[in-house]
Amino acid sequence: MTNHKHLSMRGVRKNYRFFTLDDLTLELEPGQVMGFVGPNGAGKSTTLRLAIGLIAPDAGEIRVLGHDIPKNQAAAKRDVGFVSAEMRLFPHATLGWHMDFMKSIYPEWDGGYAATLVKRFNLRTEQNARSLSLGEHVKATLLLALARRPKLLILDEPTTGLDPVARHEVISEFMDVLRDESRSILFSSHNTVDVERISDTIAFIDRGRIVECSNKEDFLDRWRRIQVQLPPGTALPDLPNIVHRQIDGHFVTLTTNQFSEGLQALIGPHVTGIQRMNLEEIFVANVMHHREARGQ
Amino acid sequence: MNVVTRKLIAKELYVNRWFVGGGAISAVVSVLIAATSKTGFNIGALTWLTTIIATGVMLGIYGIMNERKEHSLQFVLSLPLSVGDYVLAKMLGLMACFLIVWLAGSAAAMTLVFGMQAVPDGVGPYVVLLCVFMLANFAVVLCGALHAQSEALTSAVVIITNMGVSIFMFTIGPLPGISQSMWGPTPAWNSTFWTVLGCELAVLVVAFTLPFFLAARRRDFL
Repeated sequence: MTNHKHLSMRGVRKNYRFFTLDDLTLELEPGQVMGFVGPNGAGKSTTLRLAIGLIAPDAGEIRVLGHDIPKNQAAAKRDVGFVSAEMRLFPHATLGWHMDFMKSIYPEWDGGYAATLVKRFNLRTEQNARSLSLGEHVKATLLLALARRPKLLILDEPTTGLDPVARHEVISEFMDVLRDESRSILFSSHNTVDVERISDTIAFIDRGRIVECSNKEDFLDRWRRIQVQLPPGTALPDLPNIVHRQIDGHFVTLTTNQFSEGLQALIGPHVTGIQRMNLEEIFVANVMHHREARGQ
Repeated sequence: MNVVTRKLIAKELYVNRWFVGGGAISAVVSVLIAATSKTGFNIGALTWLTTIIATGVMLGIYGIMNERKEHSLQFVLSLPLSVGDYVLAKMLGLMACFLIVWLAGSAAAMTLVFGMQAVPDGVGPYVVLLCVFMLANFAVVLCGALHAQSEALTSAVVIITNMGVSIFMFTIGPLPGISQSMWGPTPAWNSTFWTVLGCELAVLVVAFTLPFFLAARRRDFL
């Protein structure tokens, strides 16, 4: 393993009474944005909490910015910004107090950037955390993480509870962070639109296992929905890499995870349409395919 | 002690400042009320006890249980610190908050006992034991709250420690070594006093240090 990776998780397992995260392997390079997509209860938050050292793995190895986690979490967290949708600030202190608090802990605190974010996110520093709305709370915690200029941002459902405008503002800030190519982001979401917008790598997780992890463009290039109209008495030949087929009389819709001109040629002249799939469609098809393959 | 731990101790004093200030004033005012008359003594003693007990309970509930329940703990643990640093900051920060109220209340009570003619000095040892008991009791609340993973368990610790005050008063007060000289003109710092004080200090030390060996080594703190 090389030390320049911002995050490395190998063979990580975490057992709970009703859930097991199993054989999790992930790597995040500097400058990379990894979208971590999965349904509710898939293990996204557990994975991110393991990465930041809030919980300890039962097996496997976790390294963040070259530090062993959870053993050396204090050193690692100096350069890691962690925000989760359910994270809350101290209810009886103002946002301004929190900003001063962070400034006193992190020498890299960028006061000018923090002030810009306060304006951009339409927050008020004199407001008590207790009186912040859900969206304001998420923006406030993001502000406190971003203004530290961390090398690695770990974000657990960061856009949950935000309206479309606020989501746009927050995603724009993430993109701004990535102008510095030495910084990276790992963020979980079940909002595939956000993930598709900023991620360059995507990991799908379902029922405690990584289903697939790949480059975003690779996902979008490989996955296709092919519509076929078969003449009466005609059957489809055996086709490779078909993860789903839906038959409605003479009309067949095939979903492939390895589209190629060769596959199209195999189907023959009966193809009536080929559609690219968006990330949400790929995610659902991928998860369902792996559940079937595992007999779940 | 690292800078984050120091800042978190200061944070406890800041976020609990009104509560701690109010508690300290209430404890002193209770003693002043107790100095007015016999009825005043009963009222003052009751409010003094209530103030110190309530301060401990509220610090345990708001400082530890609610931080976990309201997910502020995630924010704290995202800072560059280990679980051990967090436990150290909580124990020292909340103990410092409690000590402000406890010292104000205990000093006022001692002044009342040894400074007023109407109150016999013989009650001094019992008041000292009661004050130290309150401190040990708070250490148990802190220890329990840091180890309890659930609200129900923390509430149980709070209820049991509250009951402990009544049990203390009903069992320690009647001890011959304490009761025989309680209303006399001179305090009796006898073996009974030292034995009870030793037990209280032992509980205080165990309750205060246990989290550093157990809670601080917990693998999953959330």
